[in-house]
Amino acid sequence: MSKVVVVKNAGIRPVKKLAVDQYRLLLETGLGALFDRKPASAALSTMFPGGVVGMKTNCLTRKLNSTPKSLTDAISEMLEDSGIKANNVVVWERTNRELADAGFELNASSFGRRCMGTDTNGLGYGRTFYNSGEVNSLISRILTDVIDRNINIPVLKDHSIAGLSGGLKNMYGAIHNPNKYHIPNCNPHAAHISNLEPIRKKNRLTIIDAIRVQYNSGPGFDSRYLEYFGGILLSTDPVAVDRVGLEILEHCRLMNKLPALEQVGRPVKYLKSADAIGLGMERFEEIDLQVLAVDENGAARPGELF
Amino acid sequence: MERRLFLRCLGCGATATLLAQTELLPRALGGVQNACAFDYTKKLSSVEAWYYVKREGGGIECRLCPRRCVVTDLERGYCGVRETRGDIYYTLVYGLPCSLNIDPIEKKPLYHFYPGTTAFSLATAGCNANCKFCQNWEISQTRPEQTDNIDLPPQTIVDICNHRKVPSIAYTYSEPIIFFEYMYDTAKLGHEKGIRSVMITGGYIEKEPLKDLLQHLDAVKVDLKAIREQYYKDIVNAELKPVLDALVEIKRTGVWLEIVYLVVPTLNDSEEEFVELARWIKTNLGTDTPVHFSKFYPQYLLKNLPPTPTGTLEMARNICRAEGLEYVYLGNVPGHPAESTYCPKCNEVVIARRGYTILQVNLNNCRCSNCNNEIPGLF
Repeated sequence: MSKVVVVKNAGIRPVKKLAVDQYRLLLETGLGALFDRKPASAALSTMFPGGVVGMKTNCLTRKLNSTPKSLTDAISEMLEDSGIKANNVVVWERTNRELADAGFELNASSFGRRCMGTDTNGLGYGRTFYNSGEVNSLISRILTDVIDRNINIPVLKDHSIAGLSGGLKNMYGAIHNPNKYHIPNCNPHAAHISNLEPIRKKNRLTIIDAIRVQYNSGPGFDSRYLEYFGGILLSTDPVAVDRVGLEILEHCRLMNKLPALEQVGRPVKYLKSADAIGLGMERFEEIDLQVLAVDENGAARPGELF
Repeated sequence: MERRLFLRCLGCGATATLLAQTELLPRALGGVQNACAFDYTKKLSSVEAWYYVKREGGGIECRLCPRRCVVTDLERGYCGVRETRGDIYYTLVYGLPCSLNIDPIEKKPLYHFYPGTTAFSLATAGCNANCKFCQNWEISQTRPEQTDNIDLPPQTIVDICNHRKVPSIAYTYSEPIIFFEYMYDTAKLGHEKGIRSVMITGGYIEKEPLKDLLQHLDAVKVDLKAIREQYYKDIVNAELKPVLDALVEIKRTGVWLEIVYLVVPTLNDSEEEFVELARWIKTNLGTDTPVHFSKFYPQYLLKNLPPTPTGTLEMARNICRAEGLEYVYLGNVPGHPAESTYCPKCNEVVIARRGYTILQVNLNNCRCSNCNNEIPGLF
């Protein structure tokens, strides 16, 4: 059964973003619950026993609503605690400009944690076309050549075409021609992109940032449609974690008297397509969902999704 | 300026595609007088795009091509080179070609348009289709940040053409429709300075921008990729009907038109399709419209098919001629007699070609030297 852990911050509510320590508390609890192992570093060392670990961010909206640096810093610390060398941790994105605009410090050197865009000199996209269903794409050399395993770290938000922007949609940032695969509603393309061989094989973990959920008018930032959810979602199943994310997104829309995505012409059908090709579990009732609330001291208790 | 690229080739007709240029060129050409210097740039342009409408509730709808992409904040259209920021739609490739060359006009191919002349040819990244056989996919199926672009405003292009005595500018290689604003301004400026403009296109464009653009073009070559809608859906990722409409519109305005049909084995090479094609052209464009049947070579996403047999191309030509088309050529078959132009009245060669080279011209004031029959085109 596909397991998804949602860890909600029951501590001090941040003005905008959580600090590194606050994310660490959520991650310690979430990873421990996901892998039934504590401390989280032990769970991580099982999942990432060595090699180079990538973290694919979503930095479309500069510092406004991109993957927070404090989140990737917290994960980096924990990976290092688990035995991964700092230089073997790579935060990556489509372009260096997007990373820099989102507050990340670029570093392609052989010292310290790395942070780089696919457009870094000497990288770019590979020369091999990968195919899955209707998708034919070149893939970022960061994914194919630099890293051994990947953690997908999107931000949960609405998307004007896809409906949901979560983990599967975030992998559009790993291919060279994402503009070819948006109509209609990114279906089945979002599923097929994540099913491209290097992506499917290297994506080991999805951690969705859902502290503040933009429930409408995405993927660009729109401050009118922000809802504090205060949690992160973790799973090794890239479809199940998005399915839970969709539940949260629809709930935020409902709370704010907006119609469901399907009613506004943005049904998230690509999750069903992903399930159909065996990428993961789309049926909500069949997902092993565990919700935890963590206070400012790191004490966890069972929580409610809403 | 990040680095500069010096190109002597603009004076001698050699290839200068920029994708794989290195710093070796400046060293090699450093002492050459009159070498041209261009600036590479990593920046994308932020010129407001034309032909779009703002949508209630955010985003825009692009009206440049029949795809009519709805594009919201920070997203791009299918072409990959037009992006919405806030509620403004921008072209990211204005003045930023990634491929340049001085080509023989026969390479376009345009066989009835000033034969033996050259064209300053350019392209930016991006395309509004995704043909599975694309031979230029490395620029057409990418986004502009993935190509090496140079800063080349319209004025510079026109100045180079004048300086090097290149009579035409060709917008080609990828799909010029997607760099419409850049093409339009360059063509307009070129006309003011006596330089002609030709567009090499798939013809997947809305009527209004096409009409506006044709005022500043001298010739158009359209890749009519098939005569069946299903082929456009499956292989081209576009639609046939708007392309046929564009062909009719181009012909109506009097801008010189030639058609290329790439014959892909098993996909668009049946006798029925060639008959259908010939009849459509005869009815809608006239028998004097040149048609080029091009040989397919396995490329991009169609590597599983063999090259087109020359016999298939000859069959297509024979069918079209039997249906009454007067100027039917074979392309990508160097040395074939069907590269040459024959007078439809006396059957004598009026322009003998081999590859892109003109061997002989037997024309007097656009008329066959042998029988005085008028040959259509601009000579």
